[in-house]
Amino acid sequence: MNYHILKKDGLDGFIKKLAGQMKVCAPVAKGHGAFAFEEVSSAAEISLKYIPTILPPKKYFMPPREKMLEFDLNGDKPKDAANLEPEKLALFGVHTCDLAGIQCLNMVFSERPRDYNYLLRKENIFIIGLECNEYCDGNASCALVGNHYPNGGYDLFFTDLGDRFIVHVNTQKGEELAESQGLPKASPADLSALEKARDAKKHVFQNEIGVGPKLLPEIFARGMESKVWQELGKRCVSCGNCTNVCPTCYCFDMSDTINLDMKTGCRTRTWDSCQFETFASVAGGENFREERAHRQRHRYYRKFKYPLDKFYRSFCTGCGRCTRTCMAKISLKDTLKTLAAEYK
Amino acid sequence: MKTTDKTEHTPAGAAGARTKPKVAFFDFASCEGCQLQITNLGETLLDVLGAVDVVEFREAISEKYDGVYDVAIVEGSIGDSHAEERLKKIRERSKVLIAYGACACTGGVNGMKNGFQLDEIRQYVYGKDYKLFDSTPTRPVHEVVKVDYFVNGCPIYPPELIEVLKHALRGLPYTVPDNPVCAECKLNENVCMYERGVACLGPWTKAGCNSWCVNNGNICYGCRGEVKNPARNAAADVISKYNLKPELIAKKFEMYNKCKEGAK
Repeated sequence: MNYHILKKDGLDGFIKKLAGQMKVCAPVAKGHGAFAFEEVSSAAEISLKYIPTILPPKKYFMPPREKMLEFDLNGDKPKDAANLEPEKLALFGVHTCDLAGIQCLNMVFSERPRDYNYLLRKENIFIIGLECNEYCDGNASCALVGNHYPNGGYDLFFTDLGDRFIVHVNTQKGEELAESQGLPKASPADLSALEKARDAKKHVFQNEIGVGPKLLPEIFARGMESKVWQELGKRCVSCGNCTNVCPTCYCFDMSDTINLDMKTGCRTRTWDSCQFETFASVAGGENFREERAHRQRHRYYRKFKYPLDKFYRSFCTGCGRCTRTCMAKISLKDTLKTLAAEYK
Repeated sequence: MKTTDKTEHTPAGAAGARTKPKVAFFDFASCEGCQLQITNLGETLLDVLGAVDVVEFREAISEKYDGVYDVAIVEGSIGDSHAEERLKKIRERSKVLIAYGACACTGGVNGMKNGFQLDEIRQYVYGKDYKLFDSTPTRPVHEVVKVDYFVNGCPIYPPELIEVLKHALRGLPYTVPDNPVCAECKLNENVCMYERGVACLGPWTKAGCNSWCVNNGNICYGCRGEVKNPARNAAADVISKYNLKPELIAKKFEMYNKCKEGAK
């Protein structure tokens, strides 16, 4: 196991040196209790204690609006070119829930046909995780899905040990950075301090809904006709907030835009949401999920059922963003509890 | 006026091989602020002028034109019979008609007139001789003539007008987004206005403006009109979550949505 140490008073130097090599993005306070990943150049700008950011780090892997290609209709044959030169980027302070989110998206976009835009960006993003030693707030359900501990998906991973961070190295790139930053190796005392911190978390983080995660697939298999979906449907605003802020929602729409010369233009993809009324409507006027209840149900099944069948993994990371952002107070934990109660 | 079947089914820009499409701007009951948005386009205005021939535009040029308009771009709502007649004449002379701005698309702030008895409001505005002044309830343009394209907003969001114009020139349909403003606001990662303790009409208002107001620290006033199927029940949850007074939200709707023309 490869661990290094960074003294807390050395963090500013660490960030500044890193920012000299590449763009560094980290959680920044936006006021009113909200945070966002933004570019930083010093440690003072970073909020080390933060609740999940408004948008998850997926925005760097698949930007909300992304130009896919440029086209030119001049000449005999139309021409197009898809040129992507992704920027080198380091994400600092990514919580374990969001690391899990990135792992989920990696699986989705690595499937054939591969999504080259996503994969190219991913290749150029250096990820530094940050452990939560306590809950961000009561909306999280990370312990339910086992994301309160790190499960890979990073280059370096920081755990707060009071006056210092213990830094786990997970990749060759991570090792090179730790060495170039001159981080000393962790001592056996540091490692036992880490073990102690992890032990303490066992008492802090408890299954948030009181139902074993192994039961969830069965609960969902039987929950298709549950009354809870009608309840959610009555309240849902269909604003798409829950999916836009979800670290594992990846649906998008594509559109072509022509310039005023009427000859050149570009193709753009934009995040879409299954909660929008137009999402499942097709030519001829049919809408496969016309009711809000069906759209909400679909969202939950896309987290707790379908990806388990396909990827053997929950696509809910437990970050709690959907609950936090819902205008109509739709709570993921409450929905799961209601479903579980009906199952019994 | 030579309107043959052929020209009727041809995109407004098809004549552009030799001559540029003739575009005219008109205004009815409005503040003409949407025209001002066009004059404020900056460099993009040069691109627009490269693609079209502006033949009438009261706020910027004095010329008039007596031929057929390839595209008529109409601002303002219809509030008296003179306006109705004039609009119908413009429609007859136009291959494509674009309604732009809240007044033209939904009635806009002029819709507040419809919350009063007509004679009561006429008296208030024109005094004792109010009967000499013709006045009808506020109507958006499409309630008087056929509208081919809508550009909502008070004022219009300039990039959307450019998009619609390009669609018109190519003869393609343009779909006004029917998602709430929140959908775009979230992509812009704004701190929700409700989190700031302020009521905002974003959850019920049509997107398409790229959450322009919230990006600049203001609330959504609902100027683009309601989405087709607004969440009626949600207001109670929103109000209780953020501890707001119900009137706060209801009152805000009155400014732009008095004509109740949500569906387009």
